Amino acid sequence: MLVRTDSLTKRYGGFTALDGCSLGVPTGESFGLLGPNGAGKTTLLRLLLGYIRPTSGSAVVAGCDAVADPLGVRRRTAYLPGEARLFRRMTGHGVLDFFAALRRDCRRAAAVAVADRLGLDCDRQVARMSTGMRQKLALAVVLATDAPLVILDEPTANLDPTARAEVLDLVREAKRAGRTVMFSSHVLSEVEAVCDRVVILRAGRLVHDERIDRIRRGHRITARLAAPFAGVPAALADRVRATATGGGRVVLEADDSLAGLLGWLATLPVEEMQVEPVGLAAVYDRFHRPAAAESRA
Amino acid sequence: MMWSTAIWKRTWGDQRGLVLALGALWAAFPWIYLGLSAQIPMSDFQMLLRLIPEDWQRISGVPLAEVATPAGRVALAFVDPVIVLAATVWGITRGSDAVSGQLERGTLEMVLAAPVSRAAVFVTQAIAVTTGAAVLCGILLASVCTAVAFGPWAGLVEPARFVPAVANVFGLMVGLAGITAAVSAADNHRWRTIGILCGFYVVSLLAKLVGRLSDAFGWVGWLSMFGVYEPQRLVGGTVASWSLLARYDGVLLGLGILGYVVGAMIFSRRDLPAPL
Repeated sequence: MLVRTDSLTKRYGGFTALDGCSLGVPTGESFGLLGPNGAGKTTLLRLLLGYIRPTSGSAVVAGCDAVADPLGVRRRTAYLPGEARLFRRMTGHGVLDFFAALRRDCRRAAAVAVADRLGLDCDRQVARMSTGMRQKLALAVVLATDAPLVILDEPTANLDPTARAEVLDLVREAKRAGRTVMFSSHVLSEVEAVCDRVVILRAGRLVHDERIDRIRRGHRITARLAAPFAGVPAALADRVRATATGGGRVVLEADDSLAGLLGWLATLPVEEMQVEPVGLAAVYDRFHRPAAAESRA
Repeated sequence: MMWSTAIWKRTWGDQRGLVLALGALWAAFPWIYLGLSAQIPMSDFQMLLRLIPEDWQRISGVPLAEVATPAGRVALAFVDPVIVLAATVWGITRGSDAVSGQLERGTLEMVLAAPVSRAAVFVTQAIAVTTGAAVLCGILLASVCTAVAFGPWAGLVEPARFVPAVANVFGLMVGLAGITAAVSAADNHRWRTIGILCGFYVVSLLAKLVGRLSDAFGWVGWLSMFGVYEPQRLVGGTVASWSLLARYDGVLLGLGILGYVVGAMIFSRRDLPAPL
């Protein structure tokens, strides 16, 4: 595991920002972090990088403890903060020069290449750049390093659609190069597009952890039955669950391929039936918008 | 490693404007001050001093007979608001930028994402700020010496007499910058850091005045940082001036270094909030 946290907790007085978070990110994985504002995503990332100290628990990145050796963690990490602010009086080129001098693994030529791909004019002074342009500049700094772990906190916020697509391509390239990516975002489609696995945080707690390919394979079956639903047969209980029943209606979610379920479904007294992929949005809604998940069903 | 060349260059980029502005002010001020001061003949100046109430004379810290000499009149330039306030502006603005200034601007987040220790960031900035103070004091010394050597009182005073006074200005700048950096290291907002230091400055000034003017509360003067900023007492050109400077700057530089050490310890251990 490149990243491992064990019961990681951060409290501010009576407020718990992160509560007993235990997770592991294997080397080379593209890892998505989902949750609404205040769910604890940024707190988790900042704990990993040693910006803040945990109230309890531990975090280890590439063998370096985040509290005892934060410098070791940052040697192996490229981090884009949620709100990347740069030196307003410098030009874009000045910023690239500064960070190339600050960290040995930040290659200036690579940073200029990323900036070019994102369509950024580096001759402009940072103070005269739009929020999106500053975001591109920060991305150029972060994605030009050779760090084995890349942590991106809402990297596509404020970007135009072209630049968003470019950033997602850059993330895929980083993954292909064998780097581990932690990708925090509110845009579910982006997480679904670039991540291998996703965890969902709610009110500081890790409430769900699932592989994206498994989510993609999952199906939701919404059916109206002529007779009361008798429940999922024991033989299928580990693959299918009924998420809503009542009024002659049943909503089933299958974690895997439909093959093997069709025989059972054919035995049900179905009047109407709709089959659709589950998708990340439905999984997210299950934890953060249960009413929406219900109505979607 | 406690050093980062990139941080050094960036800090100099940040303080370049202030160095140029204060440098220009301090290069011009001694010439202007001496030019204006020399327009009042020494006899008239002595008469003016005699009009000052005796109690008030205690504030000057030196006998008025010493003030009414060319060296004494040049020395008054060092307690003029142009010098004292400029030194204070340097100490407080540069010290407050150490942590809370960068936290408020949000720039610290990206800097600390790089493999550079917090101690290296803090110490490199402290060295850059101290070097900036030394450069400014170098400009002030050069200007005072040339104004004394070639100005209206040329030949009446030895320019080297003012070296301890300039060193005392340097001590004040470092002392204030160090104390401010310690407060900045614990704070999240630069405006609050500056507010705290302005309060400290005013209380320090009042404590010195109370200590000087009141026999019963003379001890209050010892609580003031300005009790050890008295460049007008350091222009005698004697060994006593240098030993007094050693005492004054020992306290000021000691406070500055202590402030930086405490600030580095606080900064290295504290939680850093995300940019707001």
